Amino acid sequence: MKKPRVAIFDFAGCEGCQLQIVNLEEELLQLLEVVDVVEWREGISDQSPEFDIAIVEGAITRPQDVRRLEQIRARAKVLVALGACASHGGVNKLRQRLDLAAAKRIVYGTAAREEFLVSGPVQAVDEVVSIDARVEGCPIDRQELGNVLRTLVLGGEPKVPNYPVCVECKRAGNICRYERGEICLGPVTRGGCGARCPSFGMWCYGCRGSVDEPNIHAARAVMERYGRTVQELEERLALFGSR
Amino acid sequence: MQLPAPAPSLVQEFTFFQREGCSMRVIKVEETQIASWTRTLLAQQRVVAVQERDERFVFDDLHQAEDLRLDHDVTLEPPLRYFLPQREELVSYERPGRYAQPELGARPFVLLGLHPYDVAAIRQMDEVFARGVPDPHYQRRRSLATLVACDVETPSSNVFAGAMGTAVVREGYDLLLTRIGRTYLVESRTAKGDGLLALFGDDALDAPPADLRRREAVWRRNRQGLRQHELDCPPEALPRLLLASYNDELWQERSELCLSCGACNLVCPTCYCFDVQDVVDWDLKSGRRFRLCDSCMLQDFAKVAGGHQFRLRRDRYRHRFYRKGLYMPERFGFVACVGCGRCIDSCIAGVASPVDVYNALLDRHPEVLTEPVEGLGKKSLGQAIEALLGREGLEEAGPGARVQVQTRATRLQAEEPAVALPQAATAILPLEQLAAKDPYVPEQATIVEMRPLTQSETFYRLRLESGRPLGHESGQFVQISLMGIGEAPISVSSDPGQETAFEIVVRRVGNVTEALERLRPGDTVGVRGPYGTAFPMADLRGKDILVVAGGIGIVPVRSAIQEVLRNRGDYGRLTIAYGMRAPEDRLFGDEIELWRQEPGVTVLETVDHLEGLWHGQVGPVTTLLPGCGIDPGHTAALVCGPPVMYRYVLSDLIAAGMRPEDIYVSLERKMKCGIGKCGHCQINGVYVCQEGPVFTYAQVRNLPEALQ
Repeated sequence: MKKPRVAIFDFAGCEGCQLQIVNLEEELLQLLEVVDVVEWREGISDQSPEFDIAIVEGAITRPQDVRRLEQIRARAKVLVALGACASHGGVNKLRQRLDLAAAKRIVYGTAAREEFLVSGPVQAVDEVVSIDARVEGCPIDRQELGNVLRTLVLGGEPKVPNYPVCVECKRAGNICRYERGEICLGPVTRGGCGARCPSFGMWCYGCRGSVDEPNIHAARAVMERYGRTVQELEERLALFGSR
Repeated sequence: MQLPAPAPSLVQEFTFFQREGCSMRVIKVEETQIASWTRTLLAQQRVVAVQERDERFVFDDLHQAEDLRLDHDVTLEPPLRYFLPQREELVSYERPGRYAQPELGARPFVLLGLHPYDVAAIRQMDEVFARGVPDPHYQRRRSLATLVACDVETPSSNVFAGAMGTAVVREGYDLLLTRIGRTYLVESRTAKGDGLLALFGDDALDAPPADLRRREAVWRRNRQGLRQHELDCPPEALPRLLLASYNDELWQERSELCLSCGACNLVCPTCYCFDVQDVVDWDLKSGRRFRLCDSCMLQDFAKVAGGHQFRLRRDRYRHRFYRKGLYMPERFGFVACVGCGRCIDSCIAGVASPVDVYNALLDRHPEVLTEPVEGLGKKSLGQAIEALLGREGLEEAGPGARVQVQTRATRLQAEEPAVALPQAATAILPLEQLAAKDPYVPEQATIVEMRPLTQSETFYRLRLESGRPLGHESGQFVQISLMGIGEAPISVSSDPGQETAFEIVVRRVGNVTEALERLRPGDTVGVRGPYGTAFPMADLRGKDILVVAGGIGIVPVRSAIQEVLRNRGDYGRLTIAYGMRAPEDRLFGDEIELWRQEPGVTVLETVDHLEGLWHGQVGPVTTLLPGCGIDPGHTAALVCGPPVMYRYVLSDLIAAGMRPEDIYVSLERKMKCGIGKCGHCQINGVYVCQEGPVFTYAQVRNLPEALQ
């Protein structure tokens, strides 16, 4: 069997998810037994006009990004969105809460009017082109990326879990953050991370976006039950651009 | 309580049920002796014991005797995790086609600090995993465990074991520790318990009668005291209560507050549903199949590959309470809630409490405590389940009537908890049998023929590598495995008379089915089964056979059609009404033309939408029924199709004069195990993989979840 060719592209983001691929370390060698990485700015100097699997990291923020992504989509048999920015817009989406000109002034000051600082609405990859799979998280979970790639190479369709973080949190035997008087986004956030943050003593930040049908009504009621406000919940949900 | 005497070969492996040959001795030891005894124990074997962690209590491997706590209120996770881990390897594999049972651990361990309600829960789970097809993984772990219980010293903030009759247990443990002042009474119930008791030394003294009386006082205190919540009816009355409450508005109201997060199930000592997932290694050849604890609250729990969602949020919310209070009592004879209160602790929305829900229902249906079951009006659900579980004899009385409803006062006096423990225990298999009969390990089968039937359906002929015939009956299904991808339930489509191979037709709807399509003749797949019930073809001899199939529903009934054609003289007329979306979705077109030419066979076809050439009718499959010339008293109908089809077809067949007993339906549900354990395929209290997939309409018409 010919090894599928993989190309990794980045858009607006911190490149931390790509770094997780580098962090596969020894497993990276095993990965390279299964696929040929033909283009990856962060990892290799090669470039390639042809590939089977495109892995796209980052949010889409500029008109030229839209065109570049469309070209990638046209060349890829399979397109994988990598990480929270590609899947949901991620922290980039916070900008959307402000007027674009105001946001640019805050970030760039007087340079905001420079031509090259052109920017547009922040979009997740699947708001621009169709995707075939996604690896959630900020950053992604290396094991999950491995599972997704192996499934794709075997010809399967990787499934993103549709259960909340609570499931894996309970499986991990954690004490509920609510019992500790904290607001945790676990009950409405898509699992798959192994409840990493709660397992290390932090509440869930919601980086994987919400489950398919979050019960918003129930989430509001829980806020009231714990003497917190819906606004607190919404502010936290906004961090990673949850839709 | 009568327990079967274990076979001699079991004694060493598993002495749980053994009472003869055990001393039943109770000794008295000083508090300090517990620590030295624990040290001795630790030097000998693995000890899993209750310890403190972040101001809560957990079961964990004990490393030093000082960490042992017997004054805990409740542990975060139930001890069930030591028998059904949150994640457990079921099968290991190496492509192509080697499937193996993973190493079933062999290291004995002591589980130390079990509260009585958890002992009751373990006892229930023992029964669940022993009944029907025994689960080797659970049984192996269980047989390695010695259970040391301790009576509750500190009630937890939500415990209601007193209300469930599980505050005290006199059975189900090997050793029981009860604190009396600064001493402990230690009681052995089994030979394993005797072994642990002996570690206190030869000079240990029997407990004096005065101390035994003080222990009775502890039990009395716990029976009355472990009631942070009170259940307003005896637990035995819960099945009756639930029979009257199925359509209560409470389910909608409370489910609107449910986050569907699964916490209540995942901390429950009597929730055992599981999901199955494959993980493949980087070599893409070897890998493992795991089971993970699952929750019936989760959105996709009952969603099939085709996308149909069999339970909405309200239905899922209701299901958990019905499972605890009606379905499990129906199937196993015990109420599957032991009052540990963990679900209440873990539900941030505050809607998980069984007592809250049951009491609210009691307020709305106070008559269930006084009226005979016949007066409850909604007994049909229970009758339907009982009939399907093969207990028709009880149908008259209805399920609630079987349990003697005791008053609260008499229950408090009762020595033994009435409803929490199985009435009779099914024995655990010896090790060699556990290893030999692993129901989760697939057999290998080779694809001998494969061809596309339509755009999305592919036909396969498979032969088991062992050369044995599959041995299925018409209507049964198999679990088809593709290692690294997963497993899916698939109906067998061929005549059981065909001995060397069997046939399936697979629609491309999910991962397994898509990957199947990429295989080629000569490739191998895994097969488990055949599973489930079949069309009773022998009983239908002499009758006219009417087949009503919608879309891919023709696949399971094809085996029955072939069987009828092979034994043509045994049956009357064969009429096949086949509906499909469009002509290009037609399956087995050539074969259908051959069927048409057989004597006494009529094939009628219809499409929903007409594009292109078509000789049949246009409209839903029901438009064919008037033309079928049904002779109601003399016909058996075999019906299979998409969920939406049944209601219309069934009402037309009944309108045509057919009896519900003569109508057979084949129902599809999500399935993970195929052997009545994983919980996914349930229709109310019925398992489609066990009591189905073939049911009579009479069996399922009163099951609200069957034909919605």
